[in-house]
Amino acid sequence: MKINGVTIDDTFAEAFPMKASRLIITAMTLKWAYRAANALRGFASSVIACGCEADIERELKPSETPDGRPGISLMIFAMSMKDLEKQIPMRVGQSIMTAPTSACYSGIDSEVQIPMGKQLRYFGDGYQISKKINGRRFWRIPVMHGEFIVEDTVGVTNAIGGGNFLVLGKTSRHVLTACEAAVEEIKKVPGVITAFPGGIVGSGSKVGSKYDFLSASTNEAYCPTLKGQVKSHLGDEIGSVMEIVIDGIDEESIREATRVGVLAACSYGPKKGIYRISAGNYGGNLGPYHFHLRKILK
Amino acid sequence: MNPLTFTLKIKPQFSLDVAELTPDNLAEKNRSKIKNLKLSYGKKKVTVAELFSITGNDSENIQIHRSNDKLVCVGQGISHGSIEVKGDVGELLGQHMKGGHIIVHGNAGSWLGNGMSGGRIDITGNAGDHIGAGKPGDAFGMTEGFINIKGSAGDRVGDRMRRGIITIHGKAGDFCGSRMHAGTILVLDKAGKNVGTGMRRGTIILAKKPKHIVATFKSNGNLKMQFLRLLFTQFVTMGKEFSKFRNFDPEVHRFSGDLARNGKGEILILQSLNLKK
Repeated sequence: MKINGVTIDDTFAEAFPMKASRLIITAMTLKWAYRAANALRGFASSVIACGCEADIERELKPSETPDGRPGISLMIFAMSMKDLEKQIPMRVGQSIMTAPTSACYSGIDSEVQIPMGKQLRYFGDGYQISKKINGRRFWRIPVMHGEFIVEDTVGVTNAIGGGNFLVLGKTSRHVLTACEAAVEEIKKVPGVITAFPGGIVGSGSKVGSKYDFLSASTNEAYCPTLKGQVKSHLGDEIGSVMEIVIDGIDEESIREATRVGVLAACSYGPKKGIYRISAGNYGGNLGPYHFHLRKILK
Repeated sequence: MNPLTFTLKIKPQFSLDVAELTPDNLAEKNRSKIKNLKLSYGKKKVTVAELFSITGNDSENIQIHRSNDKLVCVGQGISHGSIEVKGDVGELLGQHMKGGHIIVHGNAGSWLGNGMSGGRIDITGNAGDHIGAGKPGDAFGMTEGFINIKGSAGDRVGDRMRRGIITIHGKAGDFCGSRMHAGTILVLDKAGKNVGTGMRRGTIILAKKPKHIVATFKSNGNLKMQFLRLLFTQFVTMGKEFSKFRNFDPEVHRFSGDLARNGKGEILILQSLNLKK
């Protein structure tokens, strides 16, 4: 299968069940909402070592936020409820509460809730006040800029992490340009995030290592500098590979994100140094969700 | 299905307890059973059929027509559905209400929302004293829910209320929010004397500065309260009458108190609400 001259490998991305939550972060201006959201999503590229994966989903107009201020919708994914219960209060406390004029609300209406303000309220040292509005409980924590408003709990939903595709091309410059275009398209799909820096992975990994203490290590089959040394998946023409990892609320959103992302990358074609699209999997035995590239792009 | 409608055939001279006429009680009852329900009318028990003509069949949506202030306990214990009253109602409207919606196109008596733990009450006219308040012997007043009075209310609005929201578009009487445990009261016209006396927690929002603030409240100065943005943004979704709060500037003069009772309550006096908008 070829799209715009770019070969689509007959393979699939293998993804895993995760738990996800959505936070609505607001501030006096969009700039400060972004600063707070960017602080929260820092060091949240992979569950391998960060504890969670998080990224900005989209900007929100004042009419879309609970308090009528400009905001950011941010999604956070983790392998378990326990991880989310740890990561959300910690990150909201250190990254959102500390950002001037910010507030943080739940962005998912779910029966399953985990504590957010319920834990952070203690920062108020007894001066915190709770308010229940429209059936939702909020905490008003007195802070130096005024009050930090945070919702008592945040909804959690089942989700999928690890959807992915690989862009293979002539040089890093070519591949990066195509990947940037792909990420821009993926951002338009609701319910998905690409948690790595800029949405692009420069150092995709495989499970395990020759070293016992490492759970993941470089994916040598896709390292251009190891061609000839290892059982490489790269042809002579490939000089760089980058990966786009997609976490999503459901299979359909990941499928759609993969479709628009691959098409955007393929639009560059071989003349602009893009030769192949592939995907990462573990033989299909580890993750229950398989995203077959050719089926998605059919 | 048409709303189950009860139209008064007489003008009651005594208290008429209509607590039985709720969606909870009338579900699954056929017309003859409803007609034979007994209501307390003064010292007597009389059947529904003697007092009301009945039309419609949707017990989830009940209407009471030609009501007057002798009808008491309207919507008592309601947990779902709606009751719409055309005319005035007496005391204890929505007592122990758990959910659903009560609308009164007229005035309501005292102790409205006593023991309320959910749902919404809308009054298009005025209301009496002790709105959302606890009766003597009750631990608390209302513990949840929303009471919206488009006219004025009497004394002791929200006395000992535990949670929930009361909005009064007109005036409130004396001791508004007295002994509050928590919750929110909004008064869009003048409030009487001794606002918030003895309140432990909770928020009283006043559109007009009262003549005096109780001595045991401490001024915190003028502040922009972000939580009001949240509250008023939510209000806007609750009805047209709240549209004035759209794009509202949350600057208030804040008083904290009652310091005689640990001082965690607050009176917020709005600085920039233009009620004509």
